[in-house]
Amino acid sequence: MTASGTFAYGVEFAHLMDLDAIGGIVVKGISMKPIKGNPPPRIWETSSGMLNAIGWQNIGAVDFVTAKLPALRKYRTNIVVNIVGFELDDYLEVARFLNDCPGIAALELNISCPNVKKGGFHFNKDPRDAHTVTAKTKKVCTRLPLWVKLSPNVTDISEFARACEEAGADALSVINTLVGMAIDVEKRRPRLNYVTGGLSGPAIKPIALRMVWQACRAVKIPVIGVGGIATTEDALEFLIAGARAVQVGTANFYNPAASQQIALGLADYCRRRKIGDINEITGSLRT
Amino acid sequence: MNSPEQARLVQPGQFVMLKCAAGINDNPLLRRPFSVFDVDRTPGAGRPRGLVLLVKEVGAGSRMLAALKPGQEVDVLGPQGRPFDLVPGTQGGVSAACLVAGGVGIAALYLLAQRLVQHGVTPVLFYGGRTAADLVLREYFERLGLETHYTTEDASLGEAGLVTCPLDRFLKSRIRTGVRVYACGPWAMMKAAHDLSVKHRVPCEVSLEARMGCSLGACMGCVVRHLAWRWTSARSGFGTR
Repeated sequence: MTASGTFAYGVEFAHLMDLDAIGGIVVKGISMKPIKGNPPPRIWETSSGMLNAIGWQNIGAVDFVTAKLPALRKYRTNIVVNIVGFELDDYLEVARFLNDCPGIAALELNISCPNVKKGGFHFNKDPRDAHTVTAKTKKVCTRLPLWVKLSPNVTDISEFARACEEAGADALSVINTLVGMAIDVEKRRPRLNYVTGGLSGPAIKPIALRMVWQACRAVKIPVIGVGGIATTEDALEFLIAGARAVQVGTANFYNPAASQQIALGLADYCRRRKIGDINEITGSLRT
Repeated sequence: MNSPEQARLVQPGQFVMLKCAAGINDNPLLRRPFSVFDVDRTPGAGRPRGLVLLVKEVGAGSRMLAALKPGQEVDVLGPQGRPFDLVPGTQGGVSAACLVAGGVGIAALYLLAQRLVQHGVTPVLFYGGRTAADLVLREYFERLGLETHYTTEDASLGEAGLVTCPLDRFLKSRIRTGVRVYACGPWAMMKAAHDLSVKHRVPCEVSLEARMGCSLGACMGCVVRHLAWRWTSARSGFGTR
C-alpha cells in the first residue's frame, strides 16, 4: 500500500505507475471541513529522511468524495481513507460521513500526527485516550473496518497497541513520523515554520521495524508496517517481524512507482524462495 | 541531456525533477527541480532531442550534476508544473510581452521567449542582478533580437538599480493593450513586477518556486500563500491577473 500523506489522493500518480499493481492506497488525511495547513517552510530534507509539518492540509470530506473518489474508484485497488480531527467529535463526524460512502475499503484513524497544535485530546500521551477515540469511532464505523495509526513518540507502543485492540480496532498502522527538528545556523532559525516536524524516510526504518515487532507481540489484530520502507528488502523485514502488510511513504516522493516495484519484488521473492503464500513469512523471525 | 520524449513534451515555464544521486534511494533523497532552459534539436530537421538545463552549484545535488560526464545517466521526472499562458482567453492574443528575470530566474524564460517570437510577439527582456556576473546567458536573448533592459545593483552593467525601474517606465510609456508580463526570479522582484502590472492594468504571470519535495502535489511542501489565505501547491508557472 501507499502511506497516507505521501500519495495525495492517488489519481495524481496514475500516469506514473499501475495503481492496480498494489494492494491499496491510503489517501491523504481527510477532515470533515477543509484545512489549509501550516505556513511554509513545511519540509526540510535530512540525512536519509525528511522533516515535514504540513498540518493536515486537505480538501475536506465532501470534496474528496465528489471530486477525487469517483476517479479513484475506477481502479481495482483498495481505497483506505486516513481521517483526522482536532477533537473527538471531528473524528466521529468524518467517520460517520465516510462510513456511508461506497468505494472505501477501510478507514485509518490518525491519532498520531505531530504537526497540529490544537486538540483537547492527547491521543498519544495516554493509552486511555487512544482507547476512547478508537472505541467511539468504531461505534460509528458500522460498515467499514477501522485501522488505527499509532505514534512512535511514546515510551511503550505495546500499551497503545493493546488499548486500540481492546477498543475494537480492526488493524494497526505502525508507525507515524517521529518528532524532529532542524536549524539554520546562519539565521539561528528553525528550518520549519512550525519549528518541529515529523521525521520520515529510510532514517526511521530501524525504529519502525522495532516498534512493529513490539506491537505484533502485543496484539492479535493485524499490524501494518510503515516507516522508511523504500525497497523490497525493507518490506520483507517488516513482514518477517510480524507485519501483515506494509505501506510505502516517503519513497513515493522521489520514486513515484516505489510501491509497485516493491509489490513486484515481493512476488519475485516468493517465487525464488518457492513460497506459495506471502503470509507464510509473516512473523517468521528466528530469534 | 538527451531525452527526446521529454524534449517534445516540455512547455515554456515547466521544470523537471532530477535525482541527484547514483541510486534512487541514495542521498540526497528528494529530487531537485530545474527549469528547462532550452530544447536541443537535431540539426536540419529540428526535431526535439534533448533538454538544456541551467545548473548553479549551491549544494550537494547541484554539485553532483555539475560533476556529471557526457554519457552518464540521470533519472528525470517530468516535465512538471503548469506552463505559462501564451494566449489569454478573454483579452485576445498577446501582442507584446515583458519578460522580467532576476538572476537564475532567467532559466524559465528562454523557452518562452522563443515561443513568443514564433507566435509573432516581440518580447522585451528586463533582466536584473546584483552584478554583471549574475546576468548570465544574455547572448541567447540578444540572438533572438529582443529589446533588452539590463540592471545591476552595483552599476557594473546597464542601469543601476532594480529591474522594476525600466519595467515601470516601459509600461508607463506605451499603449498597454495586449501587453503581458511574465516574471521569474526572487520573491521580492516578482512581487514588485506583479504590483506594477496591477498598477498599469496588464496581466502578469509569475513562476513561483518554493522548497519542493515531490512536484506531484503529494507532499504539500511547496505551497504558496495567495488570495484569501488559501494555500496551494506552487508547482511553478502560477498566474495572477
